[in-house]
Amino acid sequence: MIVVNCPNCGPRNSSDLRPCGELTPRPDPSTASLSEWRTYLYLRENPAGWVTETWYCRNGCRRYFTIQRNTATNEIRDSEAP
Amino acid sequence: MPDFKSPIAHGPVSAPDGVVRVEDETATAKIVVRAGSDSSAAADLSVPFGQSRLRADGTLVCGTRPDEWTLFAAVDRAAEVAASVDTEGFVSVVDITHGRAMMRVSGPKATAVLAKVCNIDLADDMTPDGAVFSGSVANVTCDLLRSDRAGDPSYLISCERSFGNYLFAALVDASTEFGAGLPAGLSIH
Ligand SMILES: [Zn+2]
Repeated sequence: MIVVNCPNCGPRNSSDLRPCGELTPRPDPSTASLSEWRTYLYLRENPAGWVTETWYCRNGCRRYFTIQRNTATNEIRDSEAP
Repeated sequence: MPDFKSPIAHGPVSAPDGVVRVEDETATAKIVVRAGSDSSAAADLSVPFGQSRLRADGTLVCGTRPDEWTLFAAVDRAAEVAASVDTEGFVSVVDITHGRAMMRVSGPKATAVLAKVCNIDLADDMTPDGAVFSGSVANVTCDLLRSDRAGDPSYLISCERSFGNYLFAALVDASTEFGAGLPAGLSIH
């Protein structure tokens, strides 16, 4: 079991939440090149280590929030909202 | 108003010694209010997320989610309770009386029964009397309210209407360990 700390609901089993993947900065669609947009949509860093992720509190407060998770150890720490 | 019809096809189920009781309370007016924090509706309701309060007019106000409240009242008061909310500003009021099933698990073993099918920490310091929380109950996403009765723990659990009969059966099934009998025709297996 991975315990994820929702800023509203407190510690929850990760099965109560939906992981939405690495946080990726969204380029301005009016100025982004095709390559920048493709990178935004599909390419991720996927490091073995600390990564900033978005999670959705599906069974609780139904809010999106950001955490930092170590993909090698599943250690989780709070992150400031972007 | 259409006639009220519960999706739950069974009356109350109790253990013979009364340690746990599962009963249908779908026949309750349920009003969802979403209101921006600077609206007068939010100021009037004022109950913080995760808590509940009984209003002077008998309406139970629950802080279901951030900026979201659920109001419970007698089933024939739905329109009146909905109309009592000030809709000035960024506010929505939806009557979900017929859209959600609701049931109560109560008695000295209610917490033990719920703990079998719900992964929320039900300890008194995490979810005291009056606590409002959401989570999975028997794999159904539910809103829960702890509202103790006569000193015994009691939980009001509401879910989407179509899951009501299943959730009722699942809660009765979890209660069989404490002596409740599964009524004929009620099975989750
Ligand atoms: Zn949450």
